[in-house]
Amino acid sequence: MEQEQLILWIALVAYVGAGCVAIFAQVMKRRPERSVLALLILGLLLHTLALALRWERLGHGPFVTMYEILSSNIWSLALIYTLASLWIRQIRPAAALVMPVLFLMMGWMMMTNPGGGLLPSTYNTVWLYIHIGFGKIFFGSVLVALGLAGVILSRALAGSTRFARMPDNVSLEELAYRFLMLGLIFDTLMLMAGAIWARDAWGRYWSWAPLESWSLMTWIFLALAIHLRLTLKPRHTVSALLVVGVFALGFLTFFGIPFITQAPHKGMV
Amino acid sequence: MATIEQQRVGSNGAPVWQLLVWLGSLKFTLVALLLLLAVVVRALTLADGFTWWVAPPLGVLALNLLAAILVNPLFRRQLPLLLFHLSLLALIVLVGVGRMIYLKGWAEVSEGAAFDGQLVKYEAGPWHSWALDRVRFVNERFTINYAPGPRRTTTLNRVRLFDEAGGSRVQVIGDDRPLIMRGYRFYTTFNKGYAPVFQWRPDAASSPVTGDVRLPPFPGEALRQHTSWNLPGLAEPVWVQLEFDEAILAEERASVFRPPARHHLILRSGERRFEMKPGDQVRLGEAGLLSYQGLRTWMGYNVAYDWTQPWLVAAVLLAVCSLAWHMWRKYRQRSWLSSADNRG
Ligand code: HEM
Repeated sequence: MEQEQLILWIALVAYVGAGCVAIFAQVMKRRPERSVLALLILGLLLHTLALALRWERLGHGPFVTMYEILSSNIWSLALIYTLASLWIRQIRPAAALVMPVLFLMMGWMMMTNPGGGLLPSTYNTVWLYIHIGFGKIFFGSVLVALGLAGVILSRALAGSTRFARMPDNVSLEELAYRFLMLGLIFDTLMLMAGAIWARDAWGRYWSWAPLESWSLMTWIFLALAIHLRLTLKPRHTVSALLVVGVFALGFLTFFGIPFITQAPHKGMV
Repeated sequence: MATIEQQRVGSNGAPVWQLLVWLGSLKFTLVALLLLLAVVVRALTLADGFTWWVAPPLGVLALNLLAAILVNPLFRRQLPLLLFHLSLLALIVLVGVGRMIYLKGWAEVSEGAAFDGQLVKYEAGPWHSWALDRVRFVNERFTINYAPGPRRTTTLNRVRLFDEAGGSRVQVIGDDRPLIMRGYRFYTTFNKGYAPVFQWRPDAASSPVTGDVRLPPFPGEALRQHTSWNLPGLAEPVWVQLEFDEAILAEERASVFRPPARHHLILRSGERRFEMKPGDQVRLGEAGLLSYQGLRTWMGYNVAYDWTQPWLVAAVLLAVCSLAWHMWRKYRQRSWLSSADNRG
């Protein structure tokens, strides 16, 4: 367990290093993108190892306690952001805005209890993995969109010379909404997998539990944001704020509601 | 773009067409989505009876979508987008149908007894086609494991199912492993307890009848293990209480739900009071004979019925595939980089 904890710590330090280098580069107008990516990949490899060791030790995946949920989401968000930056090099500087979101989650994770929890019997199904997998891709896509929206917003706040090497706001907004569309696909799939799971486990696919309501609100808001942009063609900052709204709702759904009700799904155990 | 096209179409059309154009406006979609969002926020504070709240915004959304599909030229030009929105429409319709045909109920069946088609409590859509009387199974026995606490963990309930042809088979069900018959799903629950079995003969001429009396759930109502019921031919109800000393479920170690090894019943009829052990019998009324045959358990089941789910899944899959197709087509045509960026 100590070895596992140590590996996790080094992974977190690598993530923090990546974030700090990215922020520093923005302030100093440098181009350290390769070192940021290298640190991210190092963090991801170690984090994967730590998660695997924990899985092996406890006999179940990281989805029972708040600590595990935060850890596995930090991992998947970092992974998706890294993959997106490997694929689309223009977005790399946005790490300066994306990583602080992960810092927040890391700080929170360190305040939660790392002990193991009891795996509810309803978790014994392949739908768990499908549901969680889709959810992670959804939230990762929205995180990338958030980074791009963040660039638009920081240009509005701190002058258009911010992130000067990144494409203009028109392009960033378009790309952010493409990631939102990807998010919509996976959010829809996540809801579907969750509904199938609920029906298998309890006989009904929907029950207006707080988490279900919040996830539906996130989905509707996502549709609303996409439509609002298409219909009213608002300014870039407004489109960017809508992305922030989607992320905030997703964040509350993923971490806020389980935090309040003490279990990922209320009424599950 | 969408609004310009709509205005052009709208200005040439007949009144019905113009109404459709108005109904199918994309601005209307924003309002409908906001309305739906507001209603879902309401769901956070309203637990039961909420279903009907979502009906109006979903209705508005469906109307808006239907009108848009009919009149908005964008849908005619973009098949994948049309398919996507059609599947959303199908989703709304299916959810509506689901509310009309569903059943959610609770049944209680004693150990060794057959389900008699009766529900203790239920709610059902107006179009539910009742077929519970054709669901035949016997609750053969169950085991419920408890972790220290005591905290209920797994329930294993052996049931025997009977088909129309008279054949039968055994299945083990649980809290998340249902018995499925004629579209009805039966799940075991935390709601279970003890049931003393009695044989009653109202007078010497009648033949005896056997039945059990379900006591309140255990351990949920461990301190209230009594109930009363009416025996045919007796003027007053009979009151019975189960008594035992041993702790069935332990706090510090794992345990299993089971009947107590030693127990007795307190029985009251009018002013008279009896203590009964299995095998005992008492005279009640003029010539009635009540004998206590032993203690069984009973299980409370959640019963659910809704055949729309596989269709909902199909609609969602169609939605997702067509959306992916739409994205593929749209994004392949044009780079996300603006022309200014492309020049740069
Ligand atoms: C509640 C669920 C809805 C969702 C999730 C949804 C989602 C979407 C998505 C993802 C797009 C594609 C956007 C793009 O290509 O960038 C879109 C476009 C569109 N939607 Fe919806 N929609 C919903 C409801 C509606 C309704 C009720 C209408 C009826 C008017 C509608 C009409 C349209 C139209 C006309 C477009 C094409 C706009 C364009 O390409 O300019 N949608 N919608």
